[in-house]
Amino acid sequence: MAMGMPYGLQAMLKEGHKHFSGVEEAVMKNIEACKALAQMTKTSLGPNGMNKMVINHLEKLFVTSDASTIVTEMDVYHPAAKLLVMAAKAQAGEVGDATNLVLTLAGELLGNAEVLLRDGLHTSEIAEGYQRASDKALSVLESLVLPGTDTLDVKDKAAVALRLRGAISSKQLGYEDLLAPLIAEACIDVVPSNPHNFNVDNVRIVKIMGGALPDSQVVKGMVLKRDAEGSVKCVENAKVVVYAQGVDTSGPETKGTVLIKSAEELEGYSRSEEEKLEQYVKAIADSGAKVIVSGGAIGEMAMHFIEKYGLLALRIPSKFDMRRFCRATGAVAIVKLQAPQPDELGFAKQIEVREVGGANCVVLQQDASLGSVATLVLRGSTEGFLDDVERAVDDGINAYKALCRDARCVPAGGASEIEMARQVADFGKKQTGLDQYAIARFAEALEVVPRTIAENSGLQASEVLARLYAAHAQGQVNAGVCIESGAPKDLAAEGIMDVYAAKWWAVRLATDAVVTVLKVDQIIMAKQAGGPKPRAGDGDDD
Amino acid sequence: MGSVKTLNPNADVMGRHAATFMCVNAAKGLHEVMKTNFGPKGTIKMLVGGAGDIKLTKDGNVLLREMQIQNPTAVMIARTAVAQDDVTGDGTTSIVLLIGEMMKQAERYLQEGSHPRVIVEGFDIAKKALLEFLDDFKTPVDASDREMLRCVSRTSLSTKLAPHLVEQLTDIVTDAVLTIKQPEQPLDLYMVEIMHMRHKLDQDTRLVKGLVLDHGSRHPDMPKRVEDAFILTANISLEYEKAEVNAGFFYSSAEQREALVAAERAYTDERCRRVIELKKQVCGDSGRGFVLINQKGIDPLCLDMLAKEGILALRRAKKRNMERLTLACGGFAINSVEELSPDCLGHAGAVYEHVLGEEKYTFVEDVKHPHSCTILIKGPNDHTIAQIKDAVRDGLRAVKNVIDDKAVVLGAGAFEIAAAAHLRSTVKKQAQGRAKLGVEAFAEALLGFVKVLAENSGYDAQDVLIKLQEEQERGSNVGLDIATGEALDPQVAGIYDNLIVKRQIILSAPVIASQLLLVDEVMRAGINMRGK
Repeated sequence: MAMGMPYGLQAMLKEGHKHFSGVEEAVMKNIEACKALAQMTKTSLGPNGMNKMVINHLEKLFVTSDASTIVTEMDVYHPAAKLLVMAAKAQAGEVGDATNLVLTLAGELLGNAEVLLRDGLHTSEIAEGYQRASDKALSVLESLVLPGTDTLDVKDKAAVALRLRGAISSKQLGYEDLLAPLIAEACIDVVPSNPHNFNVDNVRIVKIMGGALPDSQVVKGMVLKRDAEGSVKCVENAKVVVYAQGVDTSGPETKGTVLIKSAEELEGYSRSEEEKLEQYVKAIADSGAKVIVSGGAIGEMAMHFIEKYGLLALRIPSKFDMRRFCRATGAVAIVKLQAPQPDELGFAKQIEVREVGGANCVVLQQDASLGSVATLVLRGSTEGFLDDVERAVDDGINAYKALCRDARCVPAGGASEIEMARQVADFGKKQTGLDQYAIARFAEALEVVPRTIAENSGLQASEVLARLYAAHAQGQVNAGVCIESGAPKDLAAEGIMDVYAAKWWAVRLATDAVVTVLKVDQIIMAKQAGGPKPRAGDGDDD
Repeated sequence: MGSVKTLNPNADVMGRHAATFMCVNAAKGLHEVMKTNFGPKGTIKMLVGGAGDIKLTKDGNVLLREMQIQNPTAVMIARTAVAQDDVTGDGTTSIVLLIGEMMKQAERYLQEGSHPRVIVEGFDIAKKALLEFLDDFKTPVDASDREMLRCVSRTSLSTKLAPHLVEQLTDIVTDAVLTIKQPEQPLDLYMVEIMHMRHKLDQDTRLVKGLVLDHGSRHPDMPKRVEDAFILTANISLEYEKAEVNAGFFYSSAEQREALVAAERAYTDERCRRVIELKKQVCGDSGRGFVLINQKGIDPLCLDMLAKEGILALRRAKKRNMERLTLACGGFAINSVEELSPDCLGHAGAVYEHVLGEEKYTFVEDVKHPHSCTILIKGPNDHTIAQIKDAVRDGLRAVKNVIDDKAVVLGAGAFEIAAAAHLRSTVKKQAQGRAKLGVEAFAEALLGFVKVLAENSGYDAQDVLIKLQEEQERGSNVGLDIATGEALDPQVAGIYDNLIVKRQIILSAPVIASQLLLVDEVMRAGINMRGK
């Protein structure tokens, strides 16, 4: 109790608070937690990375090797490890790829920091050394940019597919030849004249169970996983009218009551109601529109008239889908039920209902010149597999976006890391201060990438590293790990490259997170807030 | 002490020695926690909230606010620190350190048998003398000297942020204050909006001479970027509002109902049309943009009407932004459509929308006479942003203080060393009798700052202190160079503190220390409703 003899901070805080301070208690513990996290994601790095089965707090099952999914669904609680997770999320937000690199590199850097701490270095010296080493590494990385990659015709399908292979192959090895061209095709369809403004939202992914991945295809336009409302299932070269609200009789905001005094009036009322609605639908049909899209419900009576005039009716409840649909057709969403102006009408080359994998889908097909939405229809045997492919495709689309902004590429397969490590180590040897040890360790940490790639491929990591270093010393700066033979190989020649921006951010964010973790020397934890327990111990929540 | 027990058997009582012991220990404990924070080389603390949220800080005030302290003495000290922050915006760590040091020094004398009253008397004499000394010691400055303002804000920021950010933020903070400064008017720091976006790196933080609003237009067809735009700041409702009375309609045919719907809309539509008319009047075919920023709502139908005219409309703007908007862009806010006239329009060179994931931001930039500006903080994660935000707030206050005080005080420990020397050489001699002890204790406590500063930078506290004192005796003002551990001239290095900060510390620290020393019994009575 508080009236006792307080001594130290612990006694002054509210009950349930935890307080850690000093190198042993705070820094070392933090490092340990971060290492544990990195250990877990490390095995998922690279093309031969292992999958993880993660069950999140909603009991949803994920089978993936995508680090950002793993750490998001794992619900990391430890504060220091959380810093790494946040760094990974920032990476996902900035480039959408190479999240695993952030975690693995950060974990390795912290592991090495632990060794340095045990050797008696001060945390601030390590932090400073790491910071300088990372600046050096980034400047080395810039020099590694493969010549000729700084310009890229983002409309050239083959060239784009080649660049995307790296991002895909690290997630879905073996499918990169299949997926990369698909993604490239979809992206090229929607890329605006100024590639800088490429919007990832314009490439949609629809997952339909059944078939196999090779059955996947790109639809220029949209695919909606729902049926058309009426009996008209297919139209071509049609004008489209889009209503943001529902298509039904309109009511006033104020409460309205129908005042009826006799049976005739009742009949008359219904009739007037019908006439009014028919008038609207007729006006729509007269305007030339063949397709009515509604954001809300379509009333039964409205449906009747829509059928009568042979229109195709479609309901899109999601506001975002609605906006995309408008973008794809060039229609303007009308807020009131009224006859559309000619400039409010959109155009669809073809809208039809197709049966794909047992489900009816509305497929909107556009010419390449029209519209700005493309959809990737992914086919696969299980939901889990499709989810995983979707994440890979997402990464690919993000990589395309990154390419549009900065097309530069660096050698893949650990080649850039080894070269960075080599040059940073040289740089460290020239330093006179205590930070040279930290710089050397930073270089060592960079080796983790080729090492892990080798380990995950079942190769002798030390041997592979030695051969890589030898190759690099001889000036083969593009030599990376060949996952089949383990021999140094210029992967860029085979078209496997990494996006420069992704690497840049990864090194940058990992260093920042590590420096932050190192600089913290006290942790004050409040009592964990109440609320329902995530799961009442059924034994497996550890 | 038995008497309380008679009155209320449930009361907790602490006798004289225990009470003093508790007060001294609590002060020392807090001192212990806060001291690693102090100075540019202080370390970072990580605070983990109940929900697992992370906060990283070097700022004493933030730390005290977030730490849930329960000990009564510690709470008192923490409150003083919060008051310090309210008044000056800086020096929270310093005040806790000074109180801790004073209690520590006092404890020595108490253990030797002095009465607390004696020491308190000494504190009081020392306090009065120091306030006079501070007036002599301060350096008067010209408030429009940008370089001087930068020095002060840099000193303040460097105790809270990593070095690579300090330089950049120093400029941002100084320029922000200079932007909103209007001659002959008191500074209102609320006119600097602090906005944050979670992306990119902390180095991308910048000063926007204009405004950044954290929402965007609500209609997909509205222009995403308009240039050379008129800004209409309004507080008119552009949505249907229900009557206060319980109204209802009776109708007996669809035509009647349609008419009712139309009548209902007419009033709102009319107002919307008035805005559109104004747009047509001022813009004509010139292609200039028109932006409506409304504090009230705009319903989808009105949005649609506005979008068709190419007007960028924002709804539900924050009230404080409405004030800033008129300051930044000119014009004035209108409250009814009757007031609409070209005079009330402001102007901005560019208004554009920036989408970040799910969130939209609207930038109003290139304004003519900005009397309001925005500091746009960027960072890869929430804790970085929070850290910068707290620091920016303190930096702004520091600059404002200089403008208000028209004077600064040499930093880097220079004032403390000089003040301690003054207390010992002059004041102690003038003090009568045992009060000398209190003066001595105060002088020693002041030196505590320098010791902590040296310790945090990795130097031997005693070595540094002696070195600096020797230098000071030669008659110059010396501070501590944290990079080398040697003496430096703060004037040359450009390290200046706020006058008001120092003043407030000297004013309040002795008061609270005296109060705590004079406590001779602690009682807790009453029933804890929550039970044990």
